[in-house]
Amino acid sequence: MRNFSDIKEIKKESITVEFFYEECRDRFKLSKLSPSPINPEKLIVDKDIHRPGLALAGYVDLFTYNRVQVFGNTEMKYLNQLPHEKRVETLTRFFSFNVPCVIITNDNSPQEELAYLAEKTSTPLFITPYPTTRFAYFITDFLDDQFAIQAAIHGSFIDVYGVGLLFAGKSGIGKSEIALDLVERGHRLVADDIVMVLKKGESVLMGAGTSLTKNFMEIRGLGIIDVRSIFGIRAIRYQKRVEVIVELEDWDKNKAYERTGLDSRNISLLGIDIEHVTLPIFPGKNITVIAEVIALNYLCKHYGYNAAMKFQQNLDAKIKSNIAQKKTNGLDRSIEYFEHDFE
Amino acid sequence: MIEKEVEIINNAGMHTRPASSIVKIAAKYKADFFISRDNFEVNGKSIIGVMTLAAEKGSKLMLKFEGEDEAQLAEEMVDFFAKGFGEL
Repeated sequence: MRNFSDIKEIKKESITVEFFYEECRDRFKLSKLSPSPINPEKLIVDKDIHRPGLALAGYVDLFTYNRVQVFGNTEMKYLNQLPHEKRVETLTRFFSFNVPCVIITNDNSPQEELAYLAEKTSTPLFITPYPTTRFAYFITDFLDDQFAIQAAIHGSFIDVYGVGLLFAGKSGIGKSEIALDLVERGHRLVADDIVMVLKKGESVLMGAGTSLTKNFMEIRGLGIIDVRSIFGIRAIRYQKRVEVIVELEDWDKNKAYERTGLDSRNISLLGIDIEHVTLPIFPGKNITVIAEVIALNYLCKHYGYNAAMKFQQNLDAKIKSNIAQKKTNGLDRSIEYFEHDFE
Repeated sequence: MIEKEVEIINNAGMHTRPASSIVKIAAKYKADFFISRDNFEVNGKSIIGVMTLAAEKGSKLMLKFEGEDEAQLAEEMVDFFAKGFGEL
């Protein structure tokens, strides 16, 4: 079994506030209040957000100033009830920290002092109509995704009947050819050769192509082809959850392969357990059809039917009934008698 | 050709896991391997075949080995049956 533990993990150190705004403007109805362009040196380095209620009130000991600062109703009402001088003092102290940006929720209008000091310290100031909790939910998912652990894996990644099959195996074993065959049969290519996998939350692994190689693949002897231009829009997909890793290897007659499928084997990839199937290949074996069956069998198990388990139960019941009925063998026709059936 | 009679001695009989081990042992050898019970014969390298026999405790099976390494396969296989598939 291949070991994925030596795979290099990649993680973004930071994103610029400029990029954050570009990506979130339409998605989360974010508008920029600052009149000047966004300072390109402003960086977001943390996936969490912060509501600076206590920092505004004066307690700045554990102020996580390097997070996105979200001003909800509480912060805004607190600032509103302060007299002008106190408000300036409070916000001056707040902006003395290098905060990446400030976002006001609920379309609350910013106090003059807030807008002025944000501009003075070139801290971008944004506003959104969403309520704080809802907005936090959106932004947290976005930042989680941006700061997730990623890795580049050598393989082909296809959506087969809605199941993400990641084909792994040494170079030249035929991963791209299998991918092409699956695409021809109506399945969707996510990535070939380089698959970017990303850890989403604690139990989900997402896979995608790279911005350069998406839709392109190399077929030995043919060169580079564009799957989208040949097969059309139905043949491609941006990203997919990785559900089964199919490891292809040359058939080794000294190796014992899985025969019952009772023990599903998992492999850890970026700390997430993924079902793992080792497929020996030899001439004349139709891997494409087997790949479709792997996907469909995965769906059966997902929907609560495990064929190997069912067979095992049937066999155990048969052995027990042999003993009870004092039968000497278990070989019966599946149907004992169909009257006058000559077909 | 070698023929050996064996008896199933473990309580659960020749269920899924022993059947899986039997075909894995057989697959290591070149020799052909057949299991018969009451004149029904199955290929010992096919897991569905082996399980179809549904051999319970006390049942007697005839093992048949044929091929260049039949002696080694026979020895390992008879031993596996004698150990009650490691379930005693």
